Amino acid sequence: MASFIQLVVSGLATGAIYALVAVGFTLLWQTSQTINFAQGEFVMLPAFFILASMNAGAPFWLACLIGVALSILVLGVMFKFIVVDPMLKHGVLPLVISTIALAILLKETVKDFYSSQAQPFPALVPASDLHVFGAVVSTQSLAVLAVAIVTVVALHLALNKTRLGRMMQATAQNSTLAQILGVPVRRMVLYTFLVNAVLVAIASILISPIYLAKFTNGETLGMAAFLAAIIGGFNQVRGAILGGFILGVLDNLSAAYISSQYRGAFPLLILIVVILLRPQGLVGRVEERTV
Amino acid sequence: MNRAGAFAVGAAAVFAVVLPFFLKPFGIYLISLWAVLTVAAIGLNLTLGYAGQVSLAQGAFVGIGAYVVALLTQAGLPYPLAFLAAGALCFAIGWLLGYPALRVQHHYLAFVTLAFTTLVFLFLRNEEWLTGGIYGINAIARPTLLGWSTGKALDFYFFCLGTLGVLALATWWMLRSPWGRAFVALRENPIRALSLGLDTRRYTLMAFAFGSSLGGLSGALFAPLVQFIEPSSFGLGRSFDLLLMVIVGGSGYFFGPFVGALISVLLPEWLRVTEGYYLIVYAAMVMVLMAFCPSGVIGLVERAAKAVTRWRSGKPALRPESTSP
Amino acid sequence: MTAVLEVSNLRKHFGGITAVDDVSFEVRDGEILGIIGPNGSGKSTLFNCVLGQLTPDGGQVHVDGKPTTGMRPCDINRLGVSRTFQLLQVFPQLSVRDNLILAGQEHQGSMHTRLVGRADAGLGPAADQMIEFFRLSHLAGEQAGLLSYGQQKLLDAAMAFMAGPRLVLLDEPAGGVNLTMLGHLRERLQAYHAERKATFVVIEHQMEFVMALCTRVLVLAQGRIIAEGTPQEIRRDPVVIEAYLGH
Repeated sequence: MASFIQLVVSGLATGAIYALVAVGFTLLWQTSQTINFAQGEFVMLPAFFILASMNAGAPFWLACLIGVALSILVLGVMFKFIVVDPMLKHGVLPLVISTIALAILLKETVKDFYSSQAQPFPALVPASDLHVFGAVVSTQSLAVLAVAIVTVVALHLALNKTRLGRMMQATAQNSTLAQILGVPVRRMVLYTFLVNAVLVAIASILISPIYLAKFTNGETLGMAAFLAAIIGGFNQVRGAILGGFILGVLDNLSAAYISSQYRGAFPLLILIVVILLRPQGLVGRVEERTV
Repeated sequence: MNRAGAFAVGAAAVFAVVLPFFLKPFGIYLISLWAVLTVAAIGLNLTLGYAGQVSLAQGAFVGIGAYVVALLTQAGLPYPLAFLAAGALCFAIGWLLGYPALRVQHHYLAFVTLAFTTLVFLFLRNEEWLTGGIYGINAIARPTLLGWSTGKALDFYFFCLGTLGVLALATWWMLRSPWGRAFVALRENPIRALSLGLDTRRYTLMAFAFGSSLGGLSGALFAPLVQFIEPSSFGLGRSFDLLLMVIVGGSGYFFGPFVGALISVLLPEWLRVTEGYYLIVYAAMVMVLMAFCPSGVIGLVERAAKAVTRWRSGKPALRPESTSP
Repeated sequence: MTAVLEVSNLRKHFGGITAVDDVSFEVRDGEILGIIGPNGSGKSTLFNCVLGQLTPDGGQVHVDGKPTTGMRPCDINRLGVSRTFQLLQVFPQLSVRDNLILAGQEHQGSMHTRLVGRADAGLGPAADQMIEFFRLSHLAGEQAGLLSYGQQKLLDAAMAFMAGPRLVLLDEPAGGVNLTMLGHLRERLQAYHAERKATFVVIEHQMEFVMALCTRVLVLAQGRIIAEGTPQEIRRDPVVIEAYLGH
């Protein structure tokens, strides 16, 4: 039982990170039909912005700010204007190919110009263990969980309780209608790219102390974000959040209790089952297809 | 096909036969790899380019084909039978993988096939009793066919080239038959196709089955070419690579995969001057190509050819009259 | 006269909205039946239920006395019922000729013979005839997507005739077509009807077009049939006028 609690808590912590990444992923899909195959690499990159800033002498907190700022510039603004915008008129598939190429580009750039080795990354809180009901829970897991939950709640409030957030949601759900209602759709689309950039930067700060910063990190993270988004519901922010948590916990439990060799397989099997039985995801809306 | 196109294809074929006599062994290996991967890319072009079904599973089918041939020939089965078995097994699995495509499309289908690829990879890595796990399978022999030993690089290249020729012709036959028309209809407007009596379900499954079986046959050539196979050759990276080949060459064009595979195989060599950075250059080139010409290199050539014709005839852009009849 | 198509008590809901509400009618051999009604009166939904694009929530559809409710669109089509859609639906990347061959090929042979048999499935001459009939000969080799809107509309209709159907359902064939082209289209449809003794059902907004083409007219409003008669009777029916002009 004790180890079960441990597994669930650390699963929730990684799940919360997956959720952040998946939320950004669904926002991009909703507002601009961008399936970002480079989303995992987007999480990998900010850690290296931060490490580079620290190498240049910045303290950790300042490096984090620089990392978030650079992330907004590169993964938000530049990604939208240089990669996505010229491709939109060509439809979904060329853009998918382009983001696959972008993933290779980011990965190789970090490998060739920074390092191919895993880099240690400072943790938010010093590592120690708490004893709760006989279970050992690491403070790091709790800190990750806390930051991720605060971020998710803040995002949820921002999207639902502010005028700007509601305009963004309107854009995401039906941009034509939003346009007619006077929502500045183009600006809202840009904002979702910026929000995504901030989310991946936070995820990067949270996950890099656990997995170390490495150029290949994006492969598993990107996959996790897809899985979380689809299992929860591709077109709903809360679906992505739910999917992230389910995935994190499930991953930990199946690795511990069923088979660590096939650790990666269970989420995939769940994905296939979800897509076949409930393609709109657990809490998603059905996307109407007109005849 | 017009006369200039036919001439270009004939010249390319002659070139492909003559070229290896001027190459060192590594060069022959590279063009053999080109022939092998082109087979897989033709298959993916059938599924994706013509029938419009997004698949990220082609790398997995190459892997299945490679392992089937390696295991069966090492168990003593003659190569031709193992070759056919690889094609048949991938046909069957591809057929089954087509079923999700009947329910979901586009990005969902991409993710299902992506999941399939990862599952196959995990199977190859973990089932050591069968596949040798991460150590892979070693010393895969090249076949002797009717007394012709393909052990040498040159002989094996001609075996690959011949197989590519036969399979490309077969695919060409299928694409000019009513099936080819039906595949395009499936891509462009499945609802209308259904209303015209096309059993879209069967055509979708067939597009997957035939495309996947070409992937398997490519793997059946791949194993004896490299003579050592391991799971990581057939991971998601391979599927992405094949996808890029099809798109970069020109998806939905018959000769797109030939060009795409050529670029993918030769580019690392051409870009050797850039040392380790060739993948960065390749990725950047793909992104630029997608932004300016998503129909790929063949699309680019077609566009250029049209421009030349227009310039020669001295007329403005060709548009049909909109007032008639 | 026998009924080619018999629809009885057909119903279809979308959420709380009843799009088709207990509709029954039959289509007689050789007639051109018009179905008119205001926007959103359920005309296209009715077509989609009859042809298998949508599954009705209740009711029966028979083609030549054979029940077809719940059958897939491709199987219904191969019974000899074809259709056009409200929005233009040709295959833009295929040539005009290939569009027509495609429209007939599934009625020839089996999957297997279509793979190993002739590239045009033996339909080349028939396609050329159809191209000539709709006066598109100068465009036979063009990609359909390069044709003008009106030309594509003609091709769309020609495709519905390609398999020599028993019954053709045309969903707004005149929609968006200019006046010259409209006359041409109507004249070709009438010629086809006379020549092949085909049976048509036509959904249309363009009143002149319906009145000139159809032998009998059904009026649909809010998912129900509210009137039936010859074009002249319908034109004078106060119920119809009210449905169109509102209360």
